[in-house]
Amino acid sequence: MIAASGSSIVLIELGALLLILAALGRLAARLGLPSIPLYLAAGLLLGEGSAFPLDASAEFIRVGADIGVVLLLLLLGLEYTPTELRTGLTTGWPAGLVDLVANSLPGFLAGILLGWGVVAAVVLGGVTYISSSGIIAKQIFDLDRTANRETPTVLTILVFEDLVMAVYLPVIGVLLVGGTISEAAASIAVAIFVVCAALIIAFRQSHHVNRVLDTKSPELLLLGILGLTLLIGGLAERVQVSAAVAAFLVGVTLSDRVAERGRELLLPIRDVFGGLFFVFFGLQVDPSTLPPVLVPALLLAVTGVVTKTATGWWAAKRAGIGPRGRIRAGFSLIPRGEFSIVIAGLAVVAGVDRDLGPLATAYVLIVAVVGSLAMRFADRLPVRNRQQSPPAQ
Amino acid sequence: MEVFETPLPGVGSRYEFTTAAGDRIAVVARRDRRREFVLYDEEDPDACRASVELTGEESAVVVELLGGTKLTERLVDLRHEVEGLAIEWVTMPDATGLTGRTIGDGRLRTATGASVVAVIRGGNSIPGPGPEFGFEAGDVVLVIGSHASVQAANDLLTR
Repeated sequence: MIAASGSSIVLIELGALLLILAALGRLAARLGLPSIPLYLAAGLLLGEGSAFPLDASAEFIRVGADIGVVLLLLLLGLEYTPTELRTGLTTGWPAGLVDLVANSLPGFLAGILLGWGVVAAVVLGGVTYISSSGIIAKQIFDLDRTANRETPTVLTILVFEDLVMAVYLPVIGVLLVGGTISEAAASIAVAIFVVCAALIIAFRQSHHVNRVLDTKSPELLLLGILGLTLLIGGLAERVQVSAAVAAFLVGVTLSDRVAERGRELLLPIRDVFGGLFFVFFGLQVDPSTLPPVLVPALLLAVTGVVTKTATGWWAAKRAGIGPRGRIRAGFSLIPRGEFSIVIAGLAVVAGVDRDLGPLATAYVLIVAVVGSLAMRFADRLPVRNRQQSPPAQ
Repeated sequence: MEVFETPLPGVGSRYEFTTAAGDRIAVVARRDRRREFVLYDEEDPDACRASVELTGEESAVVVELLGGTKLTERLVDLRHEVEGLAIEWVTMPDATGLTGRTIGDGRLRTATGASVVAVIRGGNSIPGPGPEFGFEAGDVVLVIGSHASVQAANDLLTR
């Protein structure tokens, strides 16, 4: 009977947790906010010493969070077709590079100034750099801005960030493992080689992979993609490469019909396990560690709002967009979310600076909320377009 | 007239043009096969003043109503000339009615007196389908005849 009551406690805890997430998700939707910051906050409040300790289901939540990261990155890899990635690289690189430098530098410098060392500083640079394509795409859609002329500029920057992640994630994975400089250099060379191989497969050979996986049955397709991704992710962890990185590369390699249908089938599963991942990340952060990092988090958030707005403004201006569209493009890039947390999560697991987890949490909480609100109220700013004929394409 | 295509990574494509009257309009073709039809703002040429979301089926009907194959135009003329003529667009259901069967199977003309003039399938129109023509779910069938016969044909096609 003990075993039976043990499993019933797990079910009760999980059920209650998912219901809490559902209620928070509804609240977020009503307030016009993304759900990620609320899930993180739930994790913070449910952690050690709370009135509702998640003891029995802790193990499941931990594994669920691992699956959540894998699915988040698998879907990031699936998000864009190889053609879109190629166009993003060839036409989007000027704006992409400005975005990269203007937004990773503040985080990197802050890491150095806080005395965390180079590796943690590179992690923090990644946290402040990567915009949340999930939050941004949903907001653009909810605010009826899909057809707006500044939207391609925003999306192209997101595609470029996606490609930067393909290189950044394996490199940061190697740096976090540590070792001598020559060992690290060799591992980074291997990592970049694997990324290039995956991209070449995606661009030229993906029909082989797709033919093996393709099937009319949604059930079999789902099992095939999930099985392949988890297996490759697990094997990657064996050789000290993060499963998240491997999942991302699997996503990049899949294309065409398999990618299109896989995306539809996997989205709801990602949302469940992704939710667990944000809660788990919040659980690991002791709320009492937040106040000491609040000042740097606020300073970074203010910088991050300014640099992303400037990036979007500049890129939209280059594309011939008027002042109001430039404001919308700039504000649209502000939200950071799932990938900042994924990057911070890799570093927390590897055990870099103790303050990194709390700082990343506070940062994402602030920027995700501020960014979403800024997107919503962008058109309320008293910015006037000068009388002009519609800009030529 | 020039239509500009702009790729929207992760979403689909946008097709945009300016009408003779000076309105700027665009259609967003999304990867999930939905369509968005938008009218741009005059003051802020980068933003939309209004947007309408259409399912694949709804866009097929709009295309037909806008005279995609000039069929509609001629039918409207025809209705003016023949009093008591009824025209109806019937969308084929998922499984019931004549979905999966042919016009001949249903003995549509004999049983109801109405004629199937054309079928619109996935944006293409098939004029004057013969008795061997098989209906698929989502086909939009153009039926013509008297009011009573068109009603009977609708019932036969969909129930």
